[in-house]
Amino acid sequence: MNILRFLQTVDRRVIYVLLMLSVTAPFFLSIRLPMRVSPATEAFYSAIEERQPGDFVLLAVDWEAGTRGENGPQTEAVITHLMRKKCRFAILSFAPQSPKLTQDIVERLGKEYHSVEGVDWINWGYKVNAKNYLKGFVRDIVGVVKTNNKTEPLTKFPVMEGIKTASDIKLLVNITPSSVYQTYLQFVAGPLKVPMVVAPTSVMVPEVFNYLDSKQISGMMPGLPGAGEYEGKLGTNTKVTRFANSASFAHILIIFFIIMGNVAMLLERRQNARLGGRA
Amino acid sequence: MTNWLITNADKLTLWVGAICTIALYSALYKENRFYRLFEHIFLGLATGFLVAQTWTDVLLPKWWKPMWDEGRWYFIFIAIFGAFYYFIFSQKHSWISRIIIGFYLGVASGQAFQVYANDFWPQIQASFKPIIPHGAVTIAGKAVKALSPADAVNNIIFMVIVFCVMMYFFFSFEQKNPIVKSSAKLGRWMMMFTFGAIFGATIMARLALLIDRIDYLLNEFGAQVFGEASGPKIVFMMLLVLMGIVLYLAFKKDNTSPDEGT
Repeated sequence: MNILRFLQTVDRRVIYVLLMLSVTAPFFLSIRLPMRVSPATEAFYSAIEERQPGDFVLLAVDWEAGTRGENGPQTEAVITHLMRKKCRFAILSFAPQSPKLTQDIVERLGKEYHSVEGVDWINWGYKVNAKNYLKGFVRDIVGVVKTNNKTEPLTKFPVMEGIKTASDIKLLVNITPSSVYQTYLQFVAGPLKVPMVVAPTSVMVPEVFNYLDSKQISGMMPGLPGAGEYEGKLGTNTKVTRFANSASFAHILIIFFIIMGNVAMLLERRQNARLGGRA
Repeated sequence: MTNWLITNADKLTLWVGAICTIALYSALYKENRFYRLFEHIFLGLATGFLVAQTWTDVLLPKWWKPMWDEGRWYFIFIAIFGAFYYFIFSQKHSWISRIIIGFYLGVASGQAFQVYANDFWPQIQASFKPIIPHGAVTIAGKAVKALSPADAVNNIIFMVIVFCVMMYFFFSFEQKNPIVKSSAKLGRWMMMFTFGAIFGATIMARLALLIDRIDYLLNEFGAQVFGEASGPKIVFMMLLVLMGIVLYLAFKKDNTSPDEGT
């Protein structure tokens, strides 16, 4: 078979196998591709770095197992930073699986940073109907949230000291694969001028840039690469860096195939034209 | 049996996770019953989980307990009004469902004002950008940052793109004027670049999910089932064998490629 034709008709399963290899092999390689921290991630990092110990941060997590690959590392990076800065934080979610998935991460990191549930952080659990919920939430947090995810009253936890309305929140962090960040923007961050940062999945990044450009949000951690960049800033080297490295290798492969496929197509067209065939 | 399940719960979970991962990715080779079975299991689990979670986290603490345990009997009306929605299935009484739908339309319309004011208005404001370079100044007591020539060029590009894209969506008259026509065309090109960026970002997102599953197979399943040191390598070897089988089947003479078969 003509090599030019072959390059345009490679069986998709061959591409899948190569892609699988490009993703898997970097787990066993010591090569680390360079990573530059983007201004959006830098701004996200600064928003947390500028917080004082004891500042109350709302950690709005709205992801489920389906996007764990991106939102998981983002959540891990943010929680590490919050615990290092000794900020108090509350987990709130409009996705059913999120409170449990986030609690697992917080408990694991809490052991390392000596962060205690109820004192340094609290899980408010899963809530429904974001718009209507947040309308009441901004005016009276304790009255609306009432209990933590284990149905214990909020008032008994030291972490809630001095927290009455959404104005007491020093920073809103939303880690999400959906448009719920817009609801937070419309009903919490916008009207009360609460600084907000967003960690979206990669697919959402182009649309979130609009909000970053208009300064409605202070920073953005763009998907998995953003989590890798953030980890670079934190100076940690957990699986996020490996993930980002694997993604870089896979991107190189995809770019290679795109270039080869297009070059082959153009060369074949030229060859056909020269032979008098239809281009 | 129960004791065995309790003792081996962690390992069983790891095995289930690994089998599910392989089953769902088997669709990449071609559509098969193994994949279908696990897809249906996932759908059933997700739906069941949502129903259970809605009851335990929402209805029980927010509605049932206040009504039943705390004596707030009037909470029963929430269920009655909510049930109005189901009249949509009755031809004769569907008008009842319109009462509650109308109520929510009113709520949503009211909220739309706030949505617009806090979401879109700041973006409209932000699209008016300075295009002439200047030093730092104070206007009406408000400090304005300096604008470098490079930033000014950036802002001009932004303004031109906003204008061209808006022109593309201007359907009030036929776009015959050469300026209108060419700017609309440029606007379409700019949107194509955006769609390209979104598509690229989508690929990146899907890759991240694949990487997470590979990490699970190597470093969670492999490390805990076959041992911390050699487990990931054993799973890697198994994956290589699997990839070899896929390649063999793909190139086997009698095997029709799924692309050719359709």
